[in-house]
Amino acid sequence: MKPRFLTGLLSLLMPAMVLAGEYDLTVDRVKIDTGDFVKEGIGYNGASPGPVMRFKEGENVRINVTNNLDEMTSIHWHGLILPFNQDGVPGISFPGIKPGETFTYEFPIQQAGTYWFHSHSGFQEPDGAYGAIVIEPEGREPFRYDREYVVQLTDKHPHSGDRIMRNLKMMPDYYNREQQTVGEFFSDVSENGLMNTVRDRMAWGDMRMMKADVEDLQGFTGLINGKGPEQNWTGLFEPGERIRLRFINSSAMTYFDIRIPGLDMTVVQADGNNVQPVNVDEFRIGVAETYDVIVHPKDEQAYTIFAESMGRSGYARATLAPEEGMEAAVPQLRDPARLTMADMSGMPGMDHGNMAGMDHGDMDMNSSEGMSGMDHSNMEGMDHGSMAMGKGGQSDPFYAKGSGLVPTAANGGKFLSYADLKAQDPLYEDREPTREIELRLTGNMERYTWSINGVKYEDADPIRLKYGERVRFKFVNETMMTHPMHLHGMWSILDVGADQWNPIKHTVSVQPGTTVYMETEVDAPGQWAFHCHLSYHAAAGMFRKVIVEGGPESTQAKTDVIAKDGGEV
Amino acid sequence: MNTSKFVVAGLALSMSAGAFAAGAHGGGHGASSGEPAKASEAARTITVEMYDNYYEPEAIEVKPGETVRFVVENKGNLVHEFNIGTPDMHEAHQKEMMMMVEHGVIQGGKLNHDMMNMDMGNGHSMKHDDPNSVLLEPGQSKEVVWKFSDKGNIEFACNVPGHYQAGMYGEVNFE
Repeated sequence: MKPRFLTGLLSLLMPAMVLAGEYDLTVDRVKIDTGDFVKEGIGYNGASPGPVMRFKEGENVRINVTNNLDEMTSIHWHGLILPFNQDGVPGISFPGIKPGETFTYEFPIQQAGTYWFHSHSGFQEPDGAYGAIVIEPEGREPFRYDREYVVQLTDKHPHSGDRIMRNLKMMPDYYNREQQTVGEFFSDVSENGLMNTVRDRMAWGDMRMMKADVEDLQGFTGLINGKGPEQNWTGLFEPGERIRLRFINSSAMTYFDIRIPGLDMTVVQADGNNVQPVNVDEFRIGVAETYDVIVHPKDEQAYTIFAESMGRSGYARATLAPEEGMEAAVPQLRDPARLTMADMSGMPGMDHGNMAGMDHGDMDMNSSEGMSGMDHSNMEGMDHGSMAMGKGGQSDPFYAKGSGLVPTAANGGKFLSYADLKAQDPLYEDREPTREIELRLTGNMERYTWSINGVKYEDADPIRLKYGERVRFKFVNETMMTHPMHLHGMWSILDVGADQWNPIKHTVSVQPGTTVYMETEVDAPGQWAFHCHLSYHAAAGMFRKVIVEGGPESTQAKTDVIAKDGGEV
Repeated sequence: MNTSKFVVAGLALSMSAGAFAAGAHGGGHGASSGEPAKASEAARTITVEMYDNYYEPEAIEVKPGETVRFVVENKGNLVHEFNIGTPDMHEAHQKEMMMMVEHGVIQGGKLNHDMMNMDMGNGHSMKHDDPNSVLLEPGQSKEVVWKFSDKGNIEFACNVPGHYQAGMYGEVNFE
């Protein structure tokens, strides 16, 4: 992993010359031991996760990737701004890397921050093919810290990605252990009356969804830097030091709610871009997102980094401690959130007759009689204040009003919202978008089909953008699941209502029943992938090719060269 | 409106108490950050530039008993504070600053001066005019003259929410 500096002596003589680093990565079959199970997987340089790639802004990198598998592979540099033919998506950027072949990526590093890389071929990423990228800025970091750690999460499943996809296609609730039971039906009946309960269940049945569809893949072991909860990855510190933690969610399917009991966290970066610092007690990290936080442990004690899955079906755990072997208490998992009627308010074509008495305009749960059909029995032990039920408790404009998914901090404190994210140093001038493109996020849970505007990838035309325009994307989530939408190659300027301070991201989570806007300065010619980053949703068709027309001649896509061969994305 | 007026009034009281807290109250640990002084008593001027979100320089050297004239310039795009105190004082002041943000007094790169100057009754306001600190909009420059009476654990810090935690502080080292 040591960069070999090509410039060598020359660079001493010619200080103006650009730094060039050369790096080697092999793609290998590896063993992954989670502490709960051991299985075959895919990794880099003999391990999963792969190494932390450390680059420097302004450097030209050459990365030699050797495929030791007996199948095609690829590496996508998630969040990096680079020429489209270096982006690593088979069938869009390049044909892919054949077994036994070495492919050399070469691109300039034009940014700083925390990113990651992963295979974009088949289900190699869920099978372990991922690693972290840390880019040191040209100038100084606008923070102070004494040490730093990458904290890279994943949801390691005992089944291979291919097997999971087959099972989901056959039986979409195969991995959903949180389903409501007949027992729950009767307890609802006794509490809410037969008609209300039946009406509620029929409404949910109409939506081809189940209330417990917060996560469609359960039964995983949460890993941090490749270690399961029992293996307890530990980062050392000396009391009084400030530590920068670079959280990366490399999960196939799982959102995590992260806290470190006893420590405040200050969020200073999201998706590699510095944000105005926000002090929080807890934050939710979507699949493929990154958040950098600074913590300042003053005491000679251990602290647990606790990452509960959004659906509370599993967790990852690690420790910050002054000495190896020290550990702190590991909290219990909280009760799972259940989707509410509000989370499906975005769904069209619902038979409203079944929902008599519901106020669709405003899902205030206190006011609506039809809501008595909801299973309050399941909400015992839940913090009702969290549910935006008009009590003036926690609410979040990025969740449907009355959503069962609104996160709350375990200690009652501050939970990060997208609304808190403001760019520290905006990359782009604010300007009016030239046009708007509506993307409805669609799907049918019972057939495990996922799509955009009702059309899955293989049947869809590419989205065509023009170089130089600023496009406003309108995401309308008509499903009951959260989708982390990832546009390759160009930044996603998330509209949090802060105008020129809107943060730039590479992955934007769209909650059920909500509409989220982002804008993109179309400044990267070529063709790019644009998809939901939940592995099995992307594979099922929630995916588009984006073609940027125009721009500097030399950088335009020569599509005929790329097509075929690698095919699979 | 009634509620918010009440809260603002409460804030004004706590803000103006801050100055004295800095001098007298920091007491719990026998720590004091020093006292305000006249520019004519200062033998030395130190220019401190504020960026988003750090200072240059990030540490200064002083002698016990020395009076320093600080010229503080905000060269960033956000509102920043320069405040001399102990870590405990800064922590206490951060709660007040949080309220200033919640009340819209500090808005990213702007200060709401109308709000700051509003007469809250009893001569109180949210002017943030304690002698140990200045709160500056981008491009602004102001002076603080401070006598470092005794050795202590003293930092200059920006207590705009999140800034101190992200590392916007500097050490005052005694020779």
